[in-house]
Amino acid sequence: MSAAGVALPEAPAPPGWVRQRLISPVGAQVTAVVVFVGLWQLLTLIAPRVPSPVEVSQFLYVEVTGGSHGGIITGEFFEHFAITLRRFSLGLLIGFTAGLLIGIVIGLSGLARALLNDTVLVLLTMPAFVWAFLTTMWFGITWQAPVLTVAFTAFPFVAINVAQGARAITPELKNMSSAFEVGRWKQFRHLIVPAVVGYIFAGLRFAIIVGWNGILLSEWFSGQAGVGFRTRYWFDANRYRGFVGWVIVFIVFIVVVDRVVLNRLQARAFRWRDPIEVEIDLSRQEQVGV
Amino acid sequence: MARVEIQRLSKIFPPPQKGGDPVTAIGDVTLEVEGNVFVSIVGPSGCGKSTLLNILSGVETPTSGTVSVTEGDRPAHLGYVFQDARLLPWRTVMDNMLYVRDDDGAEKATRYLEMVGLSHTHDMFPGQLSGGMQQRVGIARAFSVEPDLLLMDEPFSHLDAITARSLRDHLQELWTVTRKTVLFVTHDVVEAVQLSDRIIVLAPGGRIFDDIAIDLPHPRRAADPKVATQQAEILGRFEEM
Repeated sequence: MSAAGVALPEAPAPPGWVRQRLISPVGAQVTAVVVFVGLWQLLTLIAPRVPSPVEVSQFLYVEVTGGSHGGIITGEFFEHFAITLRRFSLGLLIGFTAGLLIGIVIGLSGLARALLNDTVLVLLTMPAFVWAFLTTMWFGITWQAPVLTVAFTAFPFVAINVAQGARAITPELKNMSSAFEVGRWKQFRHLIVPAVVGYIFAGLRFAIIVGWNGILLSEWFSGQAGVGFRTRYWFDANRYRGFVGWVIVFIVFIVVVDRVVLNRLQARAFRWRDPIEVEIDLSRQEQVGV
Repeated sequence: MARVEIQRLSKIFPPPQKGGDPVTAIGDVTLEVEGNVFVSIVGPSGCGKSTLLNILSGVETPTSGTVSVTEGDRPAHLGYVFQDARLLPWRTVMDNMLYVRDDDGAEKATRYLEMVGLSHTHDMFPGQLSGGMQQRVGIARAFSVEPDLLLMDEPFSHLDAITARSLRDHLQELWTVTRKTVLFVTHDVVEAVQLSDRIIVLAPGGRIFDDIAIDLPHPRRAADPKVATQQAEILGRFEEM
């Protein structure tokens, strides 16, 4: 290398500008989106039935702004989204609360584990469409069917994860709590829930994904409104740009919930694990490195 | 000012292996502790020191004999300091102090934290404190419940010598002010002499080998020659064991 007469730098060269941007979290995400859209555009060249990114964007613009898709068919977005979001939140709340409580009971009590663990595992393997069909058979075309579909699909993911977390609570802290005669509610709030919070988030992530999957199916089969219903409307109308447009909405929704809502909540819950000193030390090291 | 009464107490554990012999942790111990005294229970590993504390706190049940821990004519209220601090890592120091109290108790928590020199740590998380500071919070927590009897199970054994020494000073200051009845388990005779009014020496097999009164004023400095003389004398008795 040095044969070319170039003086070798003593320290390894810092990564180039492009690489630096690529390895930053935001840069990597933007790159992933650009690559995805590029591949999609390529796909439309090979398969002309696939709507292009531009066509889908145009559709979404009309759908969101409530303009005309041609003729008397106008865009409808927010009313469907609001209905689905309401059902989804209620179902998730029911499934999550039940999963949290039953998970803690399974994790802390051997008897409850023997009684309930297998049942929860069976529920875990149940595909979302089974709940979508079953709840429609029970309740007909009503709001309960999608809500309960979300609750049933979300519940086992929360329960299994929380149970694992509750089993992992250190016996020393439990002994300390009972030695000082700390009340059960106080132990629940300050010992058990914080100890399983990482497992709660893991469960919640899965619960949101499978629950969202469930509500789409439920609304697709039995909805009179909601995003699943609207997606089917465009599918039945043989309008692929409408179908794909809504699929894009779902992807964006899940990504936003995960990246923005869940990540912020998680950072807040784990404040105690990020002592300020560590950050200071790291910045000092960087300065030394420069 | 609690009263501890132990009558012919034995604790025999089932054999650790199949076909082995049962293990006698405590063998026929009779003991009384009363008043504002600091009592150490000293002995080599495996002589039933911790088992004795566990029976007093109700974590374990005796094989035979009786124990009673009373304050007047009611059961005594107990406080604990463990080998490690056992703080909730996800709660601040102040919230850890309040965790063990029934009422809000913020005023008492503040006072006892101040007495161990940790007023500035209220809003810090345990992970931001050193091991010695965490144990000081543990000690402040035990005192803040204002127990009738304080049980301490080798609270300084996991700390380095210098930290342990400074914590002993903190403990003595706290004790001189509060004069709680304390049962302090340790394997360190030197530490026991510095802290205690009375030392109960357990021998292997869980019987009482010796019961020694230490009559020196509190607080005691580790470097005090009178303390050192007593320490040497009691270490000498150990060699006879």
